[in-house]
Amino acid sequence: MSVFSRSFAKRKAELDEEIQAHLQMDIQDRKDRGASSEQARAVAMREFGNIALIEEVTRDTWGWVWLERLGQDLKYALRQLRRSPVFTATLVATLTLGLGATAAMFTVVDHVLLRPLPYADSHQLVAINEAGKKGVTGGTPFLDLRQWQQRSHALQEIAFYSSTNHISFLDGTTGSARVIAPQVSANLFAVLGVHPAMGRGFEGQSDGSVLAGEAHNIILSDSVWRTTYGSDPNILGKVVKLNGESYIIVGVMPRDFTFPFGDANPHVWLPKVIGDKDAVRNANITPNYQVIGRLRPNEAFETAESELKVIQSDVVKQYSDPYDRERVTSIKLQRYDDSLVVVGLKKALLALFAASGVLWLIACVNATSLMLARAAARQREIAVRGALGASRWRIVQQLAVEGLVLSALASALGLGLAMLMLKLFEHGLTQQFHIHEKMTPNLTVIGVLAALTIVSALLCSVWPAVVGARASIEPALRQGGPQSSSGVVQYRTRASLVVLQIAMSLILLVGCGLLLRTIYALRHVPLGFRTDHIIVANMTIPSYRFSGHNMTTELYQPLVDRANRIPGVQSASLMTAVPLGTTFKMQFTFSAEGNSAAEIRRREMVSQFRAVGPEMQRVFGFRMFKGRFFNESDTATSQSVVVVNREFARQYLGTNQNLEKILGQSLVNLTKNRHTLVIGILDDERQVSIASQSQPEIEICIPQITPDTLAYQSVEGLSMDLAVRTDRNPSSVIPELRELTRQSSPELSDSTFTTMDQVAEDSYGSQQLAASLLIVFGGSALLVCITGIYGLLAYLVAHRTKELGLRIALGAQRGDVMWLVLRQAGWMLLAGSTLGLILAYMTSLLLRTFLYNITAHDPWTMAAVTALLVGGGLAASSIPARRAAMVDPIEALRTE
Amino acid sequence: MIGRNRYKNRIELLQGTLDMLILQTLQWGPHHGYGIVQALRTNSGEVLQVETGSLYPALHRLERQAWVRSEWKQTESNQRAKYYRITAAGKKQLASDLSRWQHMVEVIGAVMHRAPEGEEA
Repeated sequence: MSVFSRSFAKRKAELDEEIQAHLQMDIQDRKDRGASSEQARAVAMREFGNIALIEEVTRDTWGWVWLERLGQDLKYALRQLRRSPVFTATLVATLTLGLGATAAMFTVVDHVLLRPLPYADSHQLVAINEAGKKGVTGGTPFLDLRQWQQRSHALQEIAFYSSTNHISFLDGTTGSARVIAPQVSANLFAVLGVHPAMGRGFEGQSDGSVLAGEAHNIILSDSVWRTTYGSDPNILGKVVKLNGESYIIVGVMPRDFTFPFGDANPHVWLPKVIGDKDAVRNANITPNYQVIGRLRPNEAFETAESELKVIQSDVVKQYSDPYDRERVTSIKLQRYDDSLVVVGLKKALLALFAASGVLWLIACVNATSLMLARAAARQREIAVRGALGASRWRIVQQLAVEGLVLSALASALGLGLAMLMLKLFEHGLTQQFHIHEKMTPNLTVIGVLAALTIVSALLCSVWPAVVGARASIEPALRQGGPQSSSGVVQYRTRASLVVLQIAMSLILLVGCGLLLRTIYALRHVPLGFRTDHIIVANMTIPSYRFSGHNMTTELYQPLVDRANRIPGVQSASLMTAVPLGTTFKMQFTFSAEGNSAAEIRRREMVSQFRAVGPEMQRVFGFRMFKGRFFNESDTATSQSVVVVNREFARQYLGTNQNLEKILGQSLVNLTKNRHTLVIGILDDERQVSIASQSQPEIEICIPQITPDTLAYQSVEGLSMDLAVRTDRNPSSVIPELRELTRQSSPELSDSTFTTMDQVAEDSYGSQQLAASLLIVFGGSALLVCITGIYGLLAYLVAHRTKELGLRIALGAQRGDVMWLVLRQAGWMLLAGSTLGLILAYMTSLLLRTFLYNITAHDPWTMAAVTALLVGGGLAASSIPARRAAMVDPIEALRTE
Repeated sequence: MIGRNRYKNRIELLQGTLDMLILQTLQWGPHHGYGIVQALRTNSGEVLQVETGSLYPALHRLERQAWVRSEWKQTESNQRAKYYRITAAGKKQLASDLSRWQHMVEVIGAVMHRAPEGEEA
C-alpha cells in the first residue's frame, strides 16, 4: 500500500510539473510578444482554467482515484472517531460483545457440526442400524448384515466393525501406550475411501470378513506410529504386543485418519475374523457389529432407506424368537456424519448459537441507533459537504467507511473476547460437546467474523448514511440547527429500534431465567447419597497382566486394604462405576423365556449392573430400604448374595406394595451352580444422572467374584472406580493414591482422579454450561438495552430543551416534565416487553432439553425477568427525566 | 460539482475528434501539451482553441491506451517538459479514426446537401 501510494504521489507531482511547464511556456511566449510579466501571467492563468479541477479530471483517467478517496475517507473516519471517544467506545464495546459471543459459539458449532470427515466423499457414507419396538438396537448380527450386503443395490459396499471404548495396552519402544483397538471388516477402509499410507489393509472375502490367516495382523494409526514407535520407517512386518498378545504390523494409516470418528484416544485396528458365533442369531452369544455403508454415486438416501426396509422385512422372518423379532422389524438409516452427533446435543448447541446470534442482532440494532443519532448531529456538516460539491454516493461511502473502521476495530477485539470466552468455558464445552482438540478460532471462524463485520458495518452505517444523504441540503443549511420535523422521524425510528432491542433482550433473559431455575432445582435434588469429601480414581485395568490369576484377591483386595491405611482416609471401596459416573456402564437383563405377563415384564427390564465392595455404604452413606448391605462376612466361600434397589423390586414385582417379598429370591447365578440370594433393597437414589429418576439396579459383591464367575472379564477386567472418603481435603490424597495404584500395576498410574462433587456437577454440566452462557449473553443484552434506552432519552431531552424550558416558564410543574420523559420510556418498555414475551413464548421451547422441573413457559420466570428489564429501563430513564425537570427556563430560552 | 460536469460533457462531445486531432498533430513529431495547443491553433488558422481541461485528460487517456508514449525532455528554451510521441498502435488508430471521420463527413454531407424533395416540383 505504501509503495502504491508513493508511486501515486509521484505521478501527481509529474502532472503538476507538466501543467506548470505548460503555463511557463505560455507566459514566456506572451512576454516574447511584448506583454508585461504580470499581464502575461494573468492571461495565461485565465486561459488555462481551474488547475485543480483539470488535474482532478485528468487523474480520473488513471482509474485508481477510488483508492485515493478511500484513503481520504479512512483518514477522515479515524479523525472523527478520535474526536468523540465516548461515542466510539460505546459503539465498539457493543459490537465487540455481539461479535465476540457469536464468534465463540460459531467456533464450537464449527468443531461439532461442520467438521469435514477425513474420508472420501463422506456425504455418501451411511450408518445402518436395526430398529424395532424398543428403538435402535446396539448392533447387528453378521447374518443380518450379510443379507443387506447381498441384496442391496443402492449401496455400493457395506462394511462393519465392532465398536469398543475399552482401553488396550500396546507395548512400544517407550513403555506401554493406551490405545483403542476396534475390530474391523476387511473392506472398511475401502468403504471409507482411505488407503494405508504404508503397507496394506486387511485381506478378506466379498462379504468383508477377514481371511483367517490375517487374524494376528494389526494396522496402526499415524499417531501411534509416530509417538509409540518414533516414526520407525521399517515398522512393517514387526511384531508388537497388544494386551500381551502378539500381532504383526501390516499397515500404517495416513495422518488425520481416525475411525470411529471423534474419539481422542489413539487407535489401532484389528481384523474381524468371522467365527462360529456369527453363524447363529442368539442374543446372548452372537456378536453385534456397527454397520457403515457407501451409497452408490447419484443414488438417493431415500432409495437406499426404502430398499433396506424391504430387505429387513425378509430378514426379520428368520428370527424364531417372537420377542427378538420385535426388536429388529425395521431399519434406521442415518448419514454417517449425522449419526455422530446426538440429536438433543445438536439442538442444544444450535439453541445456544441462536442465543449468541440474538445478542449480535441487539448489538447491531444498538449500533445503528447510535449511528443514526450521530448522523442527525452531523446533518449540517453533511449538508455543507453536499453544497461544496460532494456527490450523494460519496457521502454514503464516507459514512460506510466510518462504520467499517468501527466494526473492524470491534472484530479485532471480538476475536480476543471469543478466545477469552472459549478459555473460560473450556471445561464445560469440551465435556458437553465431546471436543477433544484445542479450540481456537480457525480460518472459517475468522472468515465468518469478517463477513459479520462487513454485514454489521453495512447495517449500522449505511442506513443512517442513506438517511443523512437523502436530507435536502438547503433547509439544513438555512436553519442552522437540528430540524424539528426530521427530528421527529428520527426519534420514531430510534424508538422502534429500542423497542426491538428490548424485545430481543427479553428472549435471552427469559432463557437465562429458566436455566437459573433449573440449576437451582438440580442443586436441591436429594441424591440419596453423599458427595462431599470423596475422591474417585477411575482406573483402566490392564487385565492381560493378571491372566491366570484372581484379580479379586491379587489386585483389588490389596489395593483397598492399602488405601484404607492412608492417614486421613475414613474408608475406601471399589465399584465398577460410582453413581453418576459416565466412565463405565453395564446393563443387566433377564433372559426368562416364559410368556406370562410377569415374565414378559421382567424381560423388558433394563437394569444397571454394578459390582461393589462392602465398604461402599460407609463411603457414600446411602440408606437401605429393607434388609442389609454387603459386609465383611460376604466372602468367596460364603453364600453368594446380591442387593437390588427399590425401583428394581418395584418393576420386578410389578407393584409398590410389600417390596420385601423380593428378599431371599434367587435372581442371578455367579457361576453355573452358585445361586445368589437377594439380601437387601437399597433406597432409591439418582445413580444415572441428577435429572433422571432412579433406575432399576442390581449389585453383586466384589469379594465374592472369582475367575470362574460369569462375565468375570467384563466386570473386573475393564474399568474400576476406587472411591475414598477422607477427613482432610480430598484432593490432598491424590499423590498418595496415585503412588498406591502405581505400585499395584504400573499402568494404573495413568488413572484419572476427580472429586465426587465434580462428578455430580458434571452430571448437570449441560445445564450449567447453558446457564452460564445465557447469563453472559442475557447480561450483556440487558446492559446494551439499558444504554440504548438511556441514550435515546438523553437525546430526546437535549433535543427538546427549549420546548421543556418554555413549558416550565409557562407554569408546568417539574413533576409533569419528568412524567413527560418517563412516559416515553414507559411506552417503549411496554411495547418491547409485549413483543419480547410473545417471541420468548415461541423460542423458549428450544431450551426444553435443558430444563428440569420447570416448564418452558413458566409464568413466574417470565414475570420476574420482565420486571427486571422494566425496572432497569425505568432506572436508566430517570436520569434524563430528572435532567429534564432541572431545565432552567431562563437558560433554555436565552439560546433562542 | 457543476463545474466538473461541464468539463466532462465537453470531453465527451469532442472525444473522438479531439483524440484524432492530437494523434494527427503528433504524426509530425513529438510535442508537449502546450505545443499541441499551439500547433492546432496555427494549423486551423487560429480557429481551433483546444481547452486545456480537455487536452490533458485526453493525453493521459491516449497514453493509457498505449497510443502515445511520453518522456521528459528539455525544450529549446531549456524548459523541462513532457513530450508525447505517437506509437505504432496510435498510427493504426489514427488511420481508422480518419476513415471513420471521412465516412461520417460524407454521410452528413449527403444529408445536408440533398435538395428537399417535392418542394421544387
